[in-house]
Amino acid sequence: MWGYIFKRLVQGIITVWFIATATFFAMHSVPGDPLLNDRAVTPQMRANLEAKYGLDKPVLTQYFVYLGNLSRGDFGISFTQENRQVNDIIRQHFPVSAILGVLAVVFAAAGGVLFGALTALYRNRLPDYIIMFLVILGISVPSFVLAALSQLALVNLNSLFATNILPVAGWGTIRHMLVPALVLGLGTMAYLTRLMRSSMLEIINSDYVRTARAKGVPPARIFARHQLRNAILPVVTVLGPAIAAITTGGFVVELVFAIPGLGRYFVEAVQQLDYTVIMGTTVFYGAFLVFMVIVVDVIYGFIDPKVRLE
Amino acid sequence: MSQVASAVQPQAEEPLLQVEDLVVEFDTYGGTVQAVRGVGFSVHSGKTLAIVGESGCGKSVMVQSIMRLIPMPPGRIMAGSAKLRGTEILGANIIDGKDIRGSEIGMIFQDPMTSLNPTMTIGDQIAEPLQVHRGYSYRQAFKRAIELLEMTRIPEAAKRARQYPFEFSGGMLQRAMIAMAISCKPAILIADEPSTALDVTIQAQILDLLKELQSETGMAIILITHDLGVVARMADEVAVMYAGKIVEHGTVDDVFYRSAHPYTVGLREAMPTNDPARQHKLEPIQGSPPDLFAPPAGCGYCPRCPHAMKVCEQSQPERFYLLGEHFSRCWLHHPMSPQKPESLYFKDAQQ
Repeated sequence: MWGYIFKRLVQGIITVWFIATATFFAMHSVPGDPLLNDRAVTPQMRANLEAKYGLDKPVLTQYFVYLGNLSRGDFGISFTQENRQVNDIIRQHFPVSAILGVLAVVFAAAGGVLFGALTALYRNRLPDYIIMFLVILGISVPSFVLAALSQLALVNLNSLFATNILPVAGWGTIRHMLVPALVLGLGTMAYLTRLMRSSMLEIINSDYVRTARAKGVPPARIFARHQLRNAILPVVTVLGPAIAAITTGGFVVELVFAIPGLGRYFVEAVQQLDYTVIMGTTVFYGAFLVFMVIVVDVIYGFIDPKVRLE
Repeated sequence: MSQVASAVQPQAEEPLLQVEDLVVEFDTYGGTVQAVRGVGFSVHSGKTLAIVGESGCGKSVMVQSIMRLIPMPPGRIMAGSAKLRGTEILGANIIDGKDIRGSEIGMIFQDPMTSLNPTMTIGDQIAEPLQVHRGYSYRQAFKRAIELLEMTRIPEAAKRARQYPFEFSGGMLQRAMIAMAISCKPAILIADEPSTALDVTIQAQILDLLKELQSETGMAIILITHDLGVVARMADEVAVMYAGKIVEHGTVDDVFYRSAHPYTVGLREAMPTNDPARQHKLEPIQGSPPDLFAPPAGCGYCPRCPHAMKVCEQSQPERFYLLGEHFSRCWLHHPMSPQKPESLYFKDAQQ
């Protein structure tokens, strides 16, 4: 197991290096100069930045300067925002995105497993039809529509009870987080529900569930010990990519609900060609996702004994 | 029709399991399949009843309906009874305070590779019925599971109990399945083609193991198979099933040496032998079993039968008792039959 984790970590570091390199060269092939902006950059600032990042030197030299900084965990200073370290931006805004993302993933996974198992157990009966209809809605309605609609619903709800039950936007308490996390996780929840349903249906008809019934194991115990753990394997497999989709896809939801997450900085940086912020956020997101995939793989190893021993 | 030769059914000791007139149907998109059409048999303690027949004749459905393992719907038990020590078990889960499944009747299946839960250790799976039916603690049950693995001749049982199914070979898995099925000392073990998925040397080991365990525990075995070699090796009694009915029933000697139904004769002709005196070209049974969406009015075997008569197409043959409990559902045994069944069936009887 430890060898397996170590192997996955080394693979992860190589992946992150690859992401960093690809981003660096992609960014440098975009025409333009971050320092030729509307906002005047003093000659002194320009000289300092050029000296620090070797901006007047060949691209390859810049690349090695960049890799050197990166390996020390220094993402540098923003080119367009005065006196802002990229590390500070990430430190201040990533936790917000991360909490939102984790909450959304928890919603998605719990809901997906629960509803998927329900639809399979009630297949071709009313609960199945209702949930599967909602699933199709959940997959096809984009999150910004859902976000706007849920805000409208919140406004009506709050005015109906004449108190602020759940805030419409903003950030701070758990009450601010619930609705945005739900909106963010809903598409993934729908997808996981479908996945769980099909894998559960397969397992309901499997030979070993029949064996368990022949042993006289009560239905609740069959569900918990024989069906759920086996049915959940494909769901866990896609959970890594699902976390990726949710955390990077959080930008729209963050914008609609006025949540001070990292997504906004990421998009603005691209628009303003803010080299260090683009690099920093991209590599950071990349590393985060690689890490989450490794975590999921390790969890998978605990659920599926075959993976553990290979 | 009951006035036929020796129609008196002999009175034997009270059977352990008595199944009568069992009818099972399945609703499908193509209509209703009558999978089991009035089957009856009895099983006695310490004895082995083999149920033989080709694929799709209703063998598995019959035992699975007794165990309530067929999906309902689409499956349906239309009629019949199954009495364990005189108590009806069809539709019941518990008799006399004991669970039927896993406790009174154990069951093993054809494919051990897929019949065990891939994410549970072998020991946990064997321990489970003890926890469910006997109230064992996990620790006690796991200890007992190791003993059961030893009983089924698995070496290093303590280590093996902590392994997962994918670490076992097919034969080992079937031993583990047997250990699981006998964990609560059931009165009856149903073995649904227990050796079909295994290679021949392992088959022999598994069958020997079943026999040994039977003599140790005194349980009855219902053995479902389509392999007459297995029947000859294991069975005390044989029921030959065809198109959802038992067409011949008797002791293993009756059915093998005094075969009284053309289908049994056909099966025997299609079986290879290593006895040089009896070697012959294997004769397949021509044609295929009848469509059970619309079962025939007469004998189901009649289109494939070399001795078919007019009456065979029109009405169902009753049970014609021959010697003791040996019966055949074949019109040839009717006193008014123009053909002499002895000359057709009993050709090996002298040997």
